[in-house]
Amino acid sequence: MRRFICSICGYIYDEAKGVSEAGIAPGTKWEELPENWTCPLCGAAKSEFVEEKATAPEKKAQPVKQATEEHKELNALEVSALCSNLAKGCEKQYQATEAALFTQLADFYKAASAPATDADHSELLSLVEQDLDERFPAANAASVEDRGARRALVWSEKVTRILKSLLTRYEKEGEAMIENTGVYVCTICGFIYVGDTPPALCPVCKVPSWKFEKIEGRAM
Amino acid sequence: MAKTYAVRNIRLCTKDCLCLYVCPTGASDTENSIIDVHKCIGCGACANACPSGAISMVPRELPPQQPKTDAVVSALRELTRSKTSQESIAAALPGKLAVAIEKSNRIMAEDLIREAGYMLPQSGNAKAFLQELLKKPQPEGFPKEAVEALLQTLRFNEDVEPEEKWKCSVCGYIHEGPLPDGFTCPRCMQPASVFVKL
Repeated sequence: MRRFICSICGYIYDEAKGVSEAGIAPGTKWEELPENWTCPLCGAAKSEFVEEKATAPEKKAQPVKQATEEHKELNALEVSALCSNLAKGCEKQYQATEAALFTQLADFYKAASAPATDADHSELLSLVEQDLDERFPAANAASVEDRGARRALVWSEKVTRILKSLLTRYEKEGEAMIENTGVYVCTICGFIYVGDTPPALCPVCKVPSWKFEKIEGRAM
Repeated sequence: MAKTYAVRNIRLCTKDCLCLYVCPTGASDTENSIIDVHKCIGCGACANACPSGAISMVPRELPPQQPKTDAVVSALRELTRSKTSQESIAAALPGKLAVAIEKSNRIMAEDLIREAGYMLPQSGNAKAFLQELLKKPQPEGFPKEAVEALLQTLRFNEDVEPEEKWKCSVCGYIHEGPLPDGFTCPRCMQPASVFVKL
């Protein structure tokens, strides 16, 4: 009997035990679980699980990309994110006036940014896959000695994996996937939960569930 | 001005009100529950008295943020760009999943750029960023006053100017920073006129 671990939240699927609450009998093999089965804690797809092994798999060393040129200039939406980040920084320090000014700047630059043309879900999924295949491995290699950067990378990489799971499901199921269910976002790390009640702790950053925001639809 | 000031976490406050009894300046007694930073002298009496641990003393001057290497900044900036592109695509799509993805990407972009040298609003980087905004050409409707106000009011922790100090000639109490209008000595209640500049 084998055990499979969710790479997002650490939930363990044990073939010997099954999941009695969900009617999965003890002894159910990993391969026998339906392809659309998701992690009962965080909703990750089956593909985000790895089999528990006695020895950890060897990690391929990534070469660190040297920063040769000047950092690219920030575009309007990046300036907006920088300002909304600083607004949160002021809010945490209980500096309401400064937080409001940074928020005003963030809103201005978001409105001034060029809107996306020909947007669709598959374009999102392809950017998500590029992040996971290229940008995260490169950033992880550059941040070996920077634990603050690693903290942000661990969170955002897990959230990106969840986005991949959700977008892949959306491709198959369409709007029906979210029709009669809640959608929640963790306001600290960006984790998205599709279901009626968000988990008691965020599976990625571990904040309590009151930090989750319930998402309502958009009038278009 | 004192080195620290008191802030109340309203989520933890159980209204036992000991802070009201011990505050020498009445800074903690406000209609909106936010401690009045202009009245707070940083003595810490409220934080010590609070049975719920709802009051913390926050330093007015924060330490410089952690240094970042160019390699880390470049790599995090690449990801920030990708996350903001995804935010922009999601913003153009209908449905609540798209709304969630838009928000999620904004939160990740904020966190990644925070670790790329923009953690503290009071840092030298944040100051340079704001000054750059004023120098460069900006889109129409740019809220210039907001940037100027931030440069004016944020206490930047790199190249901080030395504080003026005033001493109460009656009781010897030392006040750091300029004396506000109507200031009275929190210890002996004498008016501002008895203070001498050090």
